[in-house]
Amino acid sequence: MRLAKNVKFREEKFGGVLFETRSEKVYTLTPTAAAVVKQVAEGRTPGEIAPALAQRFEADGTTIEREVKAFLAELAEKGLVED
Amino acid sequence: MNDAAASEALAAPLYVAWQITNECNLACLHCIEESGPGKAFSDELDREGALRVVDELMANEVPYLSFSGGEPMLHPHFFEMVERVTSRGSQLKVETNGHYLTPENCARLKALEVKAVQVSLDGATSATFGRMRVRGEFDRTLQGIRNLVAADVPVEINFSPARFNIHEAGRIVDLAYELGAASFYSGRTMFTGNAVKAWRHLEVEDADYVKYFETLAAKRDEYRGRMRVSYHEAGLLEELRYRLHHPAALLIILPNGLVKLINALPFVCGDLRRESLADVWANFRRAWHDPRVATFIDELAADPGATRGLHKWVRV
Repeated sequence: MRLAKNVKFREEKFGGVLFETRSEKVYTLTPTAAAVVKQVAEGRTPGEIAPALAQRFEADGTTIEREVKAFLAELAEKGLVED
Repeated sequence: MNDAAASEALAAPLYVAWQITNECNLACLHCIEESGPGKAFSDELDREGALRVVDELMANEVPYLSFSGGEPMLHPHFFEMVERVTSRGSQLKVETNGHYLTPENCARLKALEVKAVQVSLDGATSATFGRMRVRGEFDRTLQGIRNLVAADVPVEINFSPARFNIHEAGRIVDLAYELGAASFYSGRTMFTGNAVKAWRHLEVEDADYVKYFETLAAKRDEYRGRMRVSYHEAGLLEELRYRLHHPAALLIILPNGLVKLINALPFVCGDLRRESLADVWANFRRAWHDPRVATFIDELAADPGATRGLHKWVRV
């Protein structure tokens, strides 16, 4: 999985932004969402992302895995990530 | 995940529209920049200055830029600037009149991975095109578009309506599709720049605009899934009133490095020859709250012709 061709990610103090340059649509991201997108941008697989975030945020692995999966599905549905 | 970003909260702009030169081979009736042959600013950024600005934009992770003019492909360091942007991972759109889109130049734009090239096509026939785009060559522009498509560079067609070409609205969208464009865009022609002198030839009646946008709405539906048809229906005043409270995360850089608040206002909020991007961006966000900005917009409601003075810059 990677960011779609026309999508750019930038970290911000509040989390981050995803900019879809074809439609010029901007999405703001919470710190947690930005952490997920950063992992995608760095080339991590969905299977690698949840454990890394569970460790970083000291959260329950099962909950994180479920939330990451749902968030990645939302990104895919909006065409912001692609396989 | 929210589909909005307040520019106030961002560390840098998301989009930079850079008018890299005011020089142009054409002298269009409606040109808001008053560009034309011999119209380059005397103080335009030199190579070193322009590349320094590019580097600063890239260092601040500005994800999306456009190069316009004048005619940007007349800039002596155009391709070097393009390469400097795209090699650093930002996306770039080039806005051109299409007269320099030779097969060789299109191949270079493809190799440099520009996101898209926007070509102005203000007529579906040589007669209307030539009336708007003084010194322009219709067939050469069409060939330029075909060269882009052959090189697999995404093409966006931009159309500016006037009283003598607005009846071609449907035909121009069809032509864009036949040429292989990925998208078509239009809006209202502004009363500023060259248009002030030519307004009696350009001005579109409100009733004609209503029909125009109805036509574009129908074309948007007709081409859905095949070519994106988009248009900005709002008038200038409506747009400015919205922007006053919701500034876009967009900086407009002039050929000499000055930075405008928004194209349709005379206010300059920075100078990239002397100030860092961070300082200009901070001032951009502050400047939208300057009372002179709101006052100018209020006065525009009483005197829509005040846009004739947009080139008399006011530092805020």
